[in-house]
Amino acid sequence: MMSAQPKADGAILTVDDIVVRYDTPEGPITAVDNVSFKVRPGEFLSVIGPSGCGKSTLFNVIGGLLSHHAGIVNVAGETISGPHQSIGMVFQEESTFPWRTVIDNVAFPLELIGMGRAQRAERARHFINLVGLEGFENRYPGELSGGMRQRVSLARTLASEPKILLMDEPFAALDEQTRLLLGDKVLQIQQQLKQTTLLITHNITEAVQMSDRILVMTYRPGKTKRIVDIDLPRPRTSEIVTSDAFGHYVAQIWNDLREEASRGMKDEEAHVLHHEGPSS
Amino acid sequence: MAETGRLRQTAAPLISPVTLLRLAIVLGVLAAWEFLAHSGWLYRDVVPSLLSIGRALAGLLGSFEFYFNLGVTAAEIAAALAIGGLSGLVVGILLGANRFLSRAFEIYLYYLGPTPKIIFFPVLIMWFGVGPESKVALGTLSCFFPVALSVAAGMRQIDKVLIRVGASFRASALQMVLKIYLPAMRHPIINGFRLGFGFALIGALLAETKLSNKGVGFLIINAYSTFDMPRMYAMLIVLFVLAIGANALIGRLGALDRIERL
Amino acid sequence: MTDAAAPRRSPPGRFIAPAVGFAAIVGTFALGEVLVRIGAIDRYIVPPPSEVLGSFYRIVAEERVFSRFLYTGSECLIAGVLLTLFGIAGGMLMHRFKLLQQAIETWVAALAAAPLVLMYPLFLVIFGRSMWTMVIMGFVSGLPPVILKTIEGIAATRKVLINVGRSFKLSAGQQFWKILFPAALPTIFVGVRLGLIFALINIVGTEFLINFGGLGHLIADLAERYDLAGTYAAICFVILVSVLFFIALEKAERWLRPVD
Repeated sequence: MMSAQPKADGAILTVDDIVVRYDTPEGPITAVDNVSFKVRPGEFLSVIGPSGCGKSTLFNVIGGLLSHHAGIVNVAGETISGPHQSIGMVFQEESTFPWRTVIDNVAFPLELIGMGRAQRAERARHFINLVGLEGFENRYPGELSGGMRQRVSLARTLASEPKILLMDEPFAALDEQTRLLLGDKVLQIQQQLKQTTLLITHNITEAVQMSDRILVMTYRPGKTKRIVDIDLPRPRTSEIVTSDAFGHYVAQIWNDLREEASRGMKDEEAHVLHHEGPSS
Repeated sequence: MAETGRLRQTAAPLISPVTLLRLAIVLGVLAAWEFLAHSGWLYRDVVPSLLSIGRALAGLLGSFEFYFNLGVTAAEIAAALAIGGLSGLVVGILLGANRFLSRAFEIYLYYLGPTPKIIFFPVLIMWFGVGPESKVALGTLSCFFPVALSVAAGMRQIDKVLIRVGASFRASALQMVLKIYLPAMRHPIINGFRLGFGFALIGALLAETKLSNKGVGFLIINAYSTFDMPRMYAMLIVLFVLAIGANALIGRLGALDRIERL
Repeated sequence: MTDAAAPRRSPPGRFIAPAVGFAAIVGTFALGEVLVRIGAIDRYIVPPPSEVLGSFYRIVAEERVFSRFLYTGSECLIAGVLLTLFGIAGGMLMHRFKLLQQAIETWVAALAAAPLVLMYPLFLVIFGRSMWTMVIMGFVSGLPPVILKTIEGIAATRKVLINVGRSFKLSAGQQFWKILFPAALPTIFVGVRLGLIFALINIVGTEFLINFGGLGHLIADLAERYDLAGTYAAICFVILVSVLFFIALEKAERWLRPVD
């Protein structure tokens, strides 16, 4: 159920001793402190932690958007130095291009590599169907709901066929029901494509529902608190949330998180008291 | 004949009160004008009769000379927009993308923008001669600033996540500009060009009134110097209609994509 | 460029970029100086920058620059007062009489986009070669933004402030003068600032075009006398005045709305 070290070798993604420090007006801050882990091909790993634990910073490091760090990120044998073509990112915020239709959004990565028009359209359509948005190819994101737009973003990233799917709280802005159903969709796609997935989240239910393993982070400075193996049967759906085993995992992780989350709250309160406002 | 269960809508008035008021204002102004024209209070023809203005207008719109000069001015403005607008776009993108460049140079653009560019005309005549080139140069100078400033500000307002999307897909710099920056900035770009068009128009026309033998500005000052007031009024009317129309057209371009309401 | 880390911002480091920019500009002028002196650029078209700088003193001394400055300044002042009074009054009227606003607001906006300054020959005919041509030119070109911003400012008062007034049972007049108008003042001032800038630009421009008045006339005069360095110097001087005017207006606006 619990293991202190990730299982080694055959890993497609290795995160090795990442340290991220930066200067603020109040002094230097360590956002991420010696985080290391490995991800196996086809695995679904979630990184969970309270606000301020540095998980979004970690997301940017692995995605190659943040180079100001110590430590190495290794993808399929190559050390990354900038966004790697084997990693596909899905962001937390609204990230669809409002001036492009759904199909043009999804075809974007294919356009960048110079794929021909007909081939692009066919490939884009495939992934639009995969996320369940067939019929909406020629709509604009402004006409869609938030959940649908996130599906477009997901389809766009999947269209570049990345070896590793890296997602930063993609469902944070959605309501709970939509979140659960979209979680189902992601699971289904992941299982179908055998997609290696790394999910950053603060939602325990979501993490346990979808993951093979969960990495729990501490509050700032973000370290690895624990890595939990989730031994629930696959294929999974959102119905699993009602099972006992599920509840057991959630309670266990909440126990870990509660300490960290309350440390975070106290820290925020102290910050507001001693300075002129919240720290972020 | 009320239909059961449906609210009866009062019939809308044939002519709305707004239109009525507008009509009243226009008619009132025209009436006052005509009165002034025939009153003899002002020196003859300072306020010419509406009839004489109408005749001058008709004569103007039927003359080849007018269209030729209109073409000259239009060409000057088009060239100014192309050169000034394009360079403004490039400079704006550079300043908006790079904080260092912005903090080094943008302040000069910001403070030099709202200055009277017509005063540069003598210098531009020395550099480019007396022909249309100096007018194009003045128009370019006038149009550069609003475009550059608008684009620079627009670059900074692009939703940061869209830039990260491009970076995460490893888009080249050119791809970023063509596929992300420019489309994301279509509104600031259009607004910048709208202002730029207005300033280029003014710059070119004023330059023509100062020193030229072609163009609408030349025609206007020509009418002034021969005291052909009806003709001058007629030209001002046509000019204003065209300028306001062009401005509205460019504005329409910006409103075209009403679909994206994110 | 895609670095998400917080940048270091030590106090001395803040001035590097502006300093580099300034140095680049000075460097360009220095380069210009060299190119003109060696003859790469014709000195009868572009005088060396040092000569232009030298002319400053001569111009100020010989051309009564200060009195010209006052002349242009008074034109701007009169035009400014007029466009402020009539602009705010016009905006208030249009707010009060919604029908009027609906009828002519788009006309005023269209006028703001029209090349009003092209009417200067007209005003020249009516007012002759006098300061009034400039004053009216400044007034007409600066009026539309004041009217539009006044309407905008009054209309944009936050609903909750209006409700506060109603909860105190203020009369319509009190509501306007104690709540709507003060709340609208920052926006109104933005309009006045725009109006003043347009006024200055058009006043100086008109002076240049009709060869009468203060600073604009100076430039036209020097150009006609083929005083190259003097013309360049005068242009720089007028640009300087314009920039200082703009900065002063900005400071005034910041003073008016300290919390924003």
